[in-house]
Amino acid sequence: MISLKKKLFSDENLARIIKILVIILLVLAVFFMAIQFTSLWTWITDAIKAVIVPIGTGYLIALIFFPLIRFLEKKGIGPRWLSLLIVFILAAAVVFGTFFFLFPLVKQEITNFFTNDVNKIIQYLTVDMRVNFVLGTDIYDQLVAYINETDALNTWLDTLVPNLLAGLSNIALPLITVISVLPIMLFYYLKDYEMIGERLRSLIPAKQEKTVSDLGSRLNQTVGAYLRGQLLLMVTLGIVATIVYKLIGLKYFYIFGIIVGITNIIPYFGAIIAAIPPILFAFISAPVGPGPLLVLIVNLVLQGIEGNIFQPIIMGKQLSMHPLIILMSILFFGSLFGTLGIIFASPIAASIRVFIEYFKERKAAREAKEAAERPVAP
Amino acid sequence: MIKAGGKGKIYSLYEIAVILFYASVIAFVPVVLVVTYIFDLDARLNIDTFILWLVIGAAIAGAIGSVILLWRKDHLKRRVKPAYRTEFIYLLFLSVFFVLGFVVFFDYLGGDRAYIANILILITVLLIYILINLGRTFFKFDYMKK
Repeated sequence: MISLKKKLFSDENLARIIKILVIILLVLAVFFMAIQFTSLWTWITDAIKAVIVPIGTGYLIALIFFPLIRFLEKKGIGPRWLSLLIVFILAAAVVFGTFFFLFPLVKQEITNFFTNDVNKIIQYLTVDMRVNFVLGTDIYDQLVAYINETDALNTWLDTLVPNLLAGLSNIALPLITVISVLPIMLFYYLKDYEMIGERLRSLIPAKQEKTVSDLGSRLNQTVGAYLRGQLLLMVTLGIVATIVYKLIGLKYFYIFGIIVGITNIIPYFGAIIAAIPPILFAFISAPVGPGPLLVLIVNLVLQGIEGNIFQPIIMGKQLSMHPLIILMSILFFGSLFGTLGIIFASPIAASIRVFIEYFKERKAAREAKEAAERPVAP
Repeated sequence: MIKAGGKGKIYSLYEIAVILFYASVIAFVPVVLVVTYIFDLDARLNIDTFILWLVIGAAIAGAIGSVILLWRKDHLKRRVKPAYRTEFIYLLFLSVFFVLGFVVFFDYLGGDRAYIANILILITVLLIYILINLGRTFFKFDYMKK
């Protein structure tokens, strides 16, 4: 007897579902196998990391430098090595000049801080804070007694220094390698920029060449725009914050200004991280210097102008995303890749959007083509 | 200057270059003062004499630049872009450092620091108004339009 009941899945769909399930199972099996050989994988990933980190850094810096080289070449300054040399000399002059002038001033501020203000902070934490403690002096005393009893502070301090040293020694060698290899790598990368692109393109199968090449150039454009814009904003905001802090009479304005510039790379959270140290310092050192409220207002105004006027104009529509998407990507990529994930959350999210939009455009174009080819009913 | 269908005028690179050049000349002294202020150079040199030399330098640069602009007028008049985004971004950054430099200038001249916030707000509001109008009219960059 033939059943007339409609099937839940067609044979074609069922076959597809089984195929997907088998693939998922195989992937899980591969993961399971991989977990069994952790040390081998660590060895392999370390080796890959040693190559990827300088290449990746070189690629990102090349995205900043290449438009400058193209600009010089457009103005007739060539051949390539000459424009490259000019850009290299200019970059080196800017970096060394900044260090030469800025380093002694920052060093002076750090020395002053440890000579004059550390004692004030300790005095505040032990005496003034007790009197002004929000929950009352009794709870403050109990908290201090608990910290002293458990020796939590000393244990934390004892582990802090070795951990910091271990962390520094872990990143010192890769950092030295990157710094020493980077200029040479960058030179050849920029010199043969087009040739490298051509070679990479020649590796792609002819059928996918156009898709990959289009996507690649769009991604280059998006990440490049982000890096250049972000660098410009970081430097400008750092300078502006330093001057404004100095004008309102805040001590250690270089350090606080540099913090504002550096943390500006982290969307939303960077502004909060940068505002905390100067506000706390103003709070502790009151009535000397500007009040914490003024420092807070300065930070709010600076970040407000930067986020609402400068960022949209400089970054353009390429990187304009809903704040919720940026926050979610910060949380997601931050948990995946740590600090680097937080820093690059915005360009990664923008790159994903480039992918989605590209395939959407292709789908729309395909559908339009099919509609045009369809015979019109008489 | 080209009329685009009666909707708005499209300005040539000459008009834009004139705006950018004279804005740079006006902002030259304040921008240099920003650098001297950051690196505490005022402690190492006589700031009054330094400002005088800067003003003379800006005047000479202004005169030379004006001649060059007139000389290249025809060439620049022939070049037109639908929008001058990069040029506007340059003007924006110049304005920021101009505002800061102006306040530094006020500080160097011995002005009362208590009024710095008032001056800063006044100049910023004025500059934002000028920038929005310049952007809309000449640079075809309407920030207010979403």
